[in-house]
Amino acid sequence: MEPSPQPMGVAAGGSQVYPASAYPPAATVAPASVVSAGLQSGQPFPANPGHMSAQHQIVYQQAQQFHQQLQQQQQQQLQQFWVERMTEIEATTDFKNHNLPLARIKKIMKADEDVRMISAEAPVVFAKACEIFILELTLRSWMHTEENKRRTLQKNDIAAAITRTDIYDFLVDIVPRDEMKEDGIGLPRAGLPPMGAPADAYPYYYMPQQQVPGSGMVYGAQQGHPVTYLWQEPQQQQEQAPEEQQSA
Amino acid sequence: MRRAVTENGKIARDARESIQECVSEFISFITSEASDKCVKERRKTINDDDIIWSLGTLGFEEYVEPLKIYLNNYQEGDIKGSKSSDQNGKK
Repeated sequence: MEPSPQPMGVAAGGSQVYPASAYPPAATVAPASVVSAGLQSGQPFPANPGHMSAQHQIVYQQAQQFHQQLQQQQQQQLQQFWVERMTEIEATTDFKNHNLPLARIKKIMKADEDVRMISAEAPVVFAKACEIFILELTLRSWMHTEENKRRTLQKNDIAAAITRTDIYDFLVDIVPRDEMKEDGIGLPRAGLPPMGAPADAYPYYYMPQQQVPGSGMVYGAQQGHPVTYLWQEPQQQQEQAPEEQQSA
Repeated sequence: MRRAVTENGKIARDARESIQECVSEFISFITSEASDKCVKERRKTINDDDIIWSLGTLGFEEYVEPLKIYLNNYQEGDIKGSKSSDQNGKK
């Protein structure tokens, strides 16, 4: 009687095949500290993988809950922001003194070659619109500052606000990509193979049915080191590749 | 700008400069759309309504209503101001 063949797991590009038993089952995780906590026993992987998987799921659910609460809180802040703006505008009586210089606004408008004449009221409206714009952008940036438990609003917070908000798409070229890289916005996390690396250079065990888009996944590499992997849609990765080549 | 952060919060200089650049770009972005509208309608002057229309078109719908109220109050204040100055002139 012949021994049954060992089940095989296909690696990243499908170019090399590894025994499935060489890798532990994938599990969703939140912070990296939880992963390392399970690996301190001296063994490369925890004795009870099923138990760890459940633990990871709980942590992931907690992180998800926290994220939802944070989003709700930020949404409320923005709603409150617009209520305050409306109240402030209705209470405005002094229209002679503006927070922003009308001449400067007019000068920026005139920089457009197609602009011929500007009515007297256009810069007045613009001054107020710019005031609201500054406050909203600062508020959205400050939310990112608070998320990172800081007290100083930095340039990368503005980059984050621009990246997160659709209507700020026209500003993506204003804040350099370096600022976004610093914060890890729109880039794969550390520990991933470089974009052009061969498939067999970074083998990992891949279980699509357990995968949750947007969640962190842990895969055991051959050496027994955990590799944190953030799931991204394939389209996004393809779009990012040429940009990174250009910047390099 | 300080109003948007908490009392004990600070704003870095590079962040301040970055926001200034963003505001300049915002003005250019809205003006460009308003200018295109004027060209299509064969008008030479960009007015307040063009600015408000452009804001709504480019995704800044939240700005439209507050700015309409502000403009209305501004125009009313302007009318009141001109009336009072006329009366002062007659005296």
